[in-house]
Amino acid sequence: MMILRWIIAAFALIVFSLPSLAQTKPVLTVYSYSGFTGKYGPGPKIKERFEAVCSCTLEWVATENSGALLGRLRLEGENTRADIALGLDINILAEARATGLFIPHGQPLDGLALAWNDATFLPFDHGHMAFIYNADKLAQPPKSLRELVDSPNGPRIVLQDPRTSQPGLSFLLWMRKVYGDKADDAWVRLKPRIVTFTKGWSEAYGMFLKGEADMVLSYTTSPAYHISAEKKTNFRAAPFNEGHYLYVETGALLRTSKQPELARRFIAFMLSDAFQSAIPEGNWMYPVKTPADGLPPSFADLIRPTETLAFTPEEVMANRRGFIESWQSAISR
Amino acid sequence: MAGAAALPHPGLIAAGLLAALIMAALAGLASAGGTATLMPGPYLWGVVRGAASQAALSTVLSLLLGTALALALTRRSSFPGRRLLMAVMTAATVAPTIVIIFGLVAMFGRSAPLPALAASLGLTLPAIYGLHGIVLAHVVMNAPLVARVLMAAVAATPAEQTRLGQMLRFNPLDCLRHLDGPVIRREWPGLAAFIFLLCFTSFAVVLSLGGGPANATLEVAIYQALKLDVDFARAAGIALLQIMLSLAFVLAFSAIGARLPDAPGQARGQTRPDAGSRLLFWIDGAVIACAMLLIAPVVLSVLSGLGQLPSLVGADVARAALTSAVLAAIAAALAVLLALLLASAAEAAPLGRASPGRARLVELAVLALLGLPPFALVTGLFVLLRGTGSVSGIGLVLVPLINALMALPFVYRLLAPPLRQSAERHGRLSTSLGLSGVAHLRIVAWPALRRPLMAALALAAALSMGDFGVIALFGGGDLVTLPYLMAERMGAYRLDEAGAIALVLVASATALTFLADRA
Repeated sequence: MMILRWIIAAFALIVFSLPSLAQTKPVLTVYSYSGFTGKYGPGPKIKERFEAVCSCTLEWVATENSGALLGRLRLEGENTRADIALGLDINILAEARATGLFIPHGQPLDGLALAWNDATFLPFDHGHMAFIYNADKLAQPPKSLRELVDSPNGPRIVLQDPRTSQPGLSFLLWMRKVYGDKADDAWVRLKPRIVTFTKGWSEAYGMFLKGEADMVLSYTTSPAYHISAEKKTNFRAAPFNEGHYLYVETGALLRTSKQPELARRFIAFMLSDAFQSAIPEGNWMYPVKTPADGLPPSFADLIRPTETLAFTPEEVMANRRGFIESWQSAISR
Repeated sequence: MAGAAALPHPGLIAAGLLAALIMAALAGLASAGGTATLMPGPYLWGVVRGAASQAALSTVLSLLLGTALALALTRRSSFPGRRLLMAVMTAATVAPTIVIIFGLVAMFGRSAPLPALAASLGLTLPAIYGLHGIVLAHVVMNAPLVARVLMAAVAATPAEQTRLGQMLRFNPLDCLRHLDGPVIRREWPGLAAFIFLLCFTSFAVVLSLGGGPANATLEVAIYQALKLDVDFARAAGIALLQIMLSLAFVLAFSAIGARLPDAPGQARGQTRPDAGSRLLFWIDGAVIACAMLLIAPVVLSVLSGLGQLPSLVGADVARAALTSAVLAAIAAALAVLLALLLASAAEAAPLGRASPGRARLVELAVLALLGLPPFALVTGLFVLLRGTGSVSGIGLVLVPLINALMALPFVYRLLAPPLRQSAERHGRLSTSLGLSGVAHLRIVAWPALRRPLMAALALAAALSMGDFGVIALFGGGDLVTLPYLMAERMGAYRLDEAGAIALVLVASATALTFLADRA
C-alpha cells in the first residue's frame, strides 16, 4: 500500500498547489496560447510587470494556439472565466467578432506601427509570413512566390496544414492573393516540391532544422531567434517581390468580465513600453509600438517587406471554407 | 446470495456508466451548435475507404513483422539483449507520436543516412511522406505489440508439447505447423482487430507523415470539424460514425474468431527442437536486425536529447514531471479498476449457468473502445461540465478518465485471461469453501493476478504519460504535463529542450515496462 499512500500524497500536493481560492488580491484571467505564456515566451515577463503596477494577480490560461483559444471561448460562451483574450490572430477576427463575446477596447489607434482601425481587437504584435532558408545550403533562394511555384527543380518546402495551423492558413491566403482564381493550378505545380503539410508550425520548423526541406514557411522575424539565441546568421528569410502576407495578433476584452476595470487597465498596458518591449525577443514578432530602447540588435538585419498582402477578416471568414475545399481537391489530384 | 442477486454486478454498472458517459459526451457536443448531418457525404466515405485500406496494410505488415520477431526471439532465448529490446520496443508503442515521427524522419528522411546509402548504390528510396510513411510509422508502433503478445502466448504452450516435438525430432517446418501455428492462428484475429482499429483512428502520424490532405482518417475529420469549422454537431456526427464503424469492424473480425489476444504465461525455459537449425539461425538474425533497424532511429533520435538534459533543470519541468506522474498513476489505477470490474462481470455467472456470450460481449465492447475519438469525447464532456469549476479542475478529472478509457483495451487484454484462468481453476473450490468478496480476492485471485496487474499498471501509466491529444485541450495554467511542456518548447524554437523532454518520457516508459516485466 506504499504506492497508494504515495499517490495520495502527490495528489494532495498538486491540489494544494493550485491557486488558493482565499486570495485577497483580485485575479485577472487572461486566456492566451502556450507559446506566449511558456517559459520562453513573453508571458512570464508581462505577468511580473503588470502585477507590479496593478496590485492584482494575473492568471494565464493557455491553449494550444490561436484557433484553440477561440474554440475554448466559443465552448465556454458567457460562462467563461476569461477577462481578456490575448493572441487572436487577424485571420479569425471576424469569427471572433461574430461570437458577440467581445466589447470595444477604447484605445487610441494612432501612432501604431501598422495601419489598424478595429475598435474591438487591439493589436499587440505583427509581422509577415516568409520562407526561411539556410544560406549555407541554399545559395539562391527564389525571389518571388511565382518563381517558387514555377521552378520544377527549385527548393523543397515544408508547409503547415491550413486546416490545423494558423501559418498554414496564412500561406493558403497568400497563394490566393497572388494567383486569385488560378491558385489551384499553382498548388498543383508547387505540389511536387512540398515535402509535407504538418499539423502545426513547430513540427514544420523542426523538420526544416533537421534538414528535411530547403525552406519552411514561418515569419520574417524567425532569423532573429537564431541570431539572438544561437549566434547563427545563416538562417534567413527570402524576400518575395509580390509582397508578404500579413500576420497580426490582437487582444480583446470579454463582455462578461467580472473585473472590467482591471481588464481595461490591462488593455491599456498592452500598448505600454513594459509590455511591448517583451515582444521582440519573447514572441519573435514586431511590437506595435517601438520600445523606448528601440528594437534589439537581432532585428537589425531582418528583411522588411514593402508590399503587404492581406484579406480582411470578413473576407477570410466568407471564403475560408471554399478556399480550403478547393485546396484539398487540388492537392489530392 | 439471494439478496445480492437483485443488484447487478458492479462491473455491469461500470459498463453502463461508461456507455452513458460516452453517449452523454457526444450529445453534449452535438448540443454545442453546428449543423448535424447524420448521413456522411462522399468526402467522409472517401476518408473511410482510404483509412480502411491504410489500416489493413498497416495491420498485415505489423502482424508479419511482429510474428517473425516473436518467433525469432523465442528461438533465440539466449540472445542477451532480448529483454531490453522488448522494453525499448514497447516504449515505442506508447511514446508520444511526435517522438516516433521525428525518429523516422531522422532515419528515412531526406537528409538521413538510409536514403543517402541507397543513393550511393544507385537506388532512389521513395520519400517517407505519404501512405508508405504512415504505414512505416504504424508498423514501428504496432509490431512490438504483436511480438509481445505472441511471445507470451508461445511461451505459454504446455511444456509437454515442446518435449513431444523434441522426441519426434520436429524439423523447423513441423515446429511452425504444430507448435507455433495453432498459437498464431488463435491470436492473429484478435491482434488484427486491435491493430486495425489503432491505425484506422490514427491522428498525428497521418497528419505529419501523410504528405497532404489526400491521406486522412475520421479522427482528422473530427479535428477539422472541431477546430477549423467549429461545427460541433458535425464533429459529434463523425465521432458517432467512427464508433459505429469500430463496432462493425470488431463484429466483422469476431466472425473470423477474433477475441482479445491472450497474454502472459510463464516461459518454460524449454529448448525448442528447431533452435539448432542453421537456416533459422540466419533468418532469426535477420529478423532481429530488421527490428533493431526499425527501432534504432527512434532510440537514436531520443538519445540525441542527452546533451540537453541539464537545460531541463528548473521548477517548471519538475512540476510537469510530478503532474505527469500523478495523472498517469490515477489513469493507470482507474484503467485497472475498470478492467477488473468488467472482466469479473464477464466471468461472473452463477454456477451451472455459464454464459460465454456475456464474456464475449464485454470483450468485444472493450475492443471497440479503441475506436473512441478522444477529441470529440473530451470536448463533449467539457461542454457538459463547463461552468462547474476551473478548467484545470475539470481537466484534473477528465484527463485521467479519458486516458484510462484509452488504455482500457490494453489493460483488459493483460488482465482478463489470467482472471478467467483463475476462475476456471479455482472457482468451484473457492465457492465450496465459502470464500467470497475480499477473501476470495486475497487468497484466490491475487496470487495469479499480481504479475499481470503490475504489467497492466505499467503499460497504462506509460500510455497516459505519453498522451498529448487530451492534455492539449486542458493543459496550461496549473495543468502542465511533460508532453505539454515538450510542445510548448517546440513552439518557442527550443527543439533541443523538447528533445531532452522526449528522452525523459521514453526512458520512463522503458523503465516502467522493463521493471514490470521483472516484477
